[in-house]
Amino acid sequence: MIYPFQSLPDNLAAFCAVLRREHGFRVGPRELQDAVRAIEISALGDERAVRDTLRPVLSGSLDDVRVFDRVFEEFFHGASGGAPPRDGLGMPDDRRTRPQPDRGEDRASPRREPSSFALGSDAGPLENADEGAGAVHEVSDLAAGEPAGLLRARYSPLDAEGEPVFLAPVDDEWRQAAAVLAGRVHRGLSRRWVPAVHGARFDFRRSLRTSLHTGGDVVMPRWRTRPRRRPRFVLLIDGSRSMTPHANAALAAAVALTSVTMNVETFTFSTALRRVTRDVRRAAAGERRRLAPHRAWGGGTAIGACLREFLQRFGDRLLTRDTVVIVASDGLDVGDAAALGDAMARLSRRSAGVLWFNPLVDTPGYQPTAAGMSAARPFVTKLASVNDAAALMRLARAVRL
Amino acid sequence: MDAASLRARFGEHGFIASDAFATALQLVLALEKPLLVEGPAGVGKTESAKVLAGVLGTRLIRLQCYEGLDALTALYEWNYPRQMLRIRMSEAEGTAASREAREAEIFSEEFLLKRPLLEAIVQDASPVLLIDEIDRADEAFEAFLLEVLAEWQVTIPELGTIRARHRPHVILTSNRTRELSDALRRRCLFFWIPYPSLEEEITILHARVPGLPERLAAQIARAMQALRDLPLQKAPGVAESLDWARALLNLHRDHLDAGVLAETIGCVLKVREDHLVLEAKPEALRPALDEAGPLRPGGHSLETDFGLGSVSTPRR
Repeated sequence: MIYPFQSLPDNLAAFCAVLRREHGFRVGPRELQDAVRAIEISALGDERAVRDTLRPVLSGSLDDVRVFDRVFEEFFHGASGGAPPRDGLGMPDDRRTRPQPDRGEDRASPRREPSSFALGSDAGPLENADEGAGAVHEVSDLAAGEPAGLLRARYSPLDAEGEPVFLAPVDDEWRQAAAVLAGRVHRGLSRRWVPAVHGARFDFRRSLRTSLHTGGDVVMPRWRTRPRRRPRFVLLIDGSRSMTPHANAALAAAVALTSVTMNVETFTFSTALRRVTRDVRRAAAGERRRLAPHRAWGGGTAIGACLREFLQRFGDRLLTRDTVVIVASDGLDVGDAAALGDAMARLSRRSAGVLWFNPLVDTPGYQPTAAGMSAARPFVTKLASVNDAAALMRLARAVRL
Repeated sequence: MDAASLRARFGEHGFIASDAFATALQLVLALEKPLLVEGPAGVGKTESAKVLAGVLGTRLIRLQCYEGLDALTALYEWNYPRQMLRIRMSEAEGTAASREAREAEIFSEEFLLKRPLLEAIVQDASPVLLIDEIDRADEAFEAFLLEVLAEWQVTIPELGTIRARHRPHVILTSNRTRELSDALRRRCLFFWIPYPSLEEEITILHARVPGLPERLAAQIARAMQALRDLPLQKAPGVAESLDWARALLNLHRDHLDAGVLAETIGCVLKVREDHLVLEAKPEALRPALDEAGPLRPGGHSLETDFGLGSVSTPRR
């Protein structure tokens, strides 16, 4: 081991600083203090023991764990360090040794949003190409520093950079329509019990407290009840070229829903899936945001593959029986229609209902006969065209979920 | 207790812990910080806490989290029916105690029902507190838990503040069904339990299923590794391999082949779609099955042309 500094605490402090500054680890003075205490009890001569000791103390999530060993290696052996020793984590070696050009810019940002990095860290198929939450947001940034020729060579012919899409705060009309839609969702009872004037269960604690004033006679009984759950929405917005003029309406619907209810998750997809919940939340809070041009914008659509990816990576966490899934797409699929049908069946089975925003529905004489659309149709609760707030309001009034 | 001896003691209890995990547990004991354990389903997250309690010879106190779990259910509750009864009795006896005295009486420790968190605080020796599936509890509960984990004291308005004399060793598990707050992560040591490697899985199988033939254990482990590489909805964990091993042992199979696989795959894959995935890619498991060598005719297992046609029809 090469120690860049003289004393052990200095080395530890410098190591923590590197983790914090360059890799976005949440390590502060307390973690450093814990690290010093931890290192005291470990066998200092054994590098592996030292690493096993520091890893649980300094990392906070799976993402951190994956980065930790590489940084440890670079810091104590210099960047050119030899083959990394096995760490007993049983992870494929490429995860740790592979150069990660996206990490630097990504992690250097002063704040990571907790929800996005925890959610994005699933061991999904996209993970192999690119890992972590940063990747979910910033897939294109990976290629940002490379020459354009390389960029083209790597992308499939279906991909093309579309025009940038803007996320903007929405007006009252949108918000009202979204509120009506949120109100149309049947909400089950939560499992919690909260104090209430009338309720199903007697609140012993509060009744007894008040009865002390009346000598133990329960003159004023108190009750508890179960509150209703909050409606949950998942929006999956098609960003392919054919959808570009219409996607803005779907994004506006996402912003509107985000401003009236709490649990809204938004994804965009074309040939890859990307989570934009954070951007949508910012827009709902009044910020105008530009969605970086991205593989998920422009290019062709593999709806089935993207929905399947969504199910695999986020299905367990985001889909419940009172989640409403909204898919915004024209259904012009270049992928496998059977895969789309299969993914739609799973989506509809695991959610309260699937709404499909299809801008073509308004076209006179349109029939949902494209292979993708007809595969998806049986599992769609309501198919409608939503191009403006009025259309969303019409849909909201017509639908019951 | 250092990592090596912890690891050895865990082995005695039938839990094969990696060096890294043993070190993390050593830190739990030394730093008195909670350990947040994450990992795929069925890799022994909950079991590790139980074994830790066994190794340390202390009590295991378990708080199973669920949606709607509130602070009072986790901490303490007054025994209301008994309190009511006491009020009635003291009335019937006609004791002329003051209101304050009456109140102090019915809100005494005698009427307190201790729930897991309070129970963990009042122990005479440090217990192991297992907070299982913390991701199932609400955010509000998580915030409350932070306070308890930081202070190790509980204030009951009627009784006063109870402070822990011996800090519990805390293990939290999470299945990542929702994201945990940064604050909670920072308060804890973090450990990710991955799926075991091939060798580790074979060791685990031998440790937990006595009498398992060497060859069968190797085949099961190999098949599991192959299955976990498939795009399954529910990838099988170690719990599934143990189930499978026990099932095969009960069926008196000494090796794994296509027929046995078709009969018993239900032990491992629990979702219909996953069966379809495997049927679509029968070659994925071939390396594990090939381990069996050439099939001997006249054996007790069925020979099939798995992957080409019907899976369960014996060839004549």
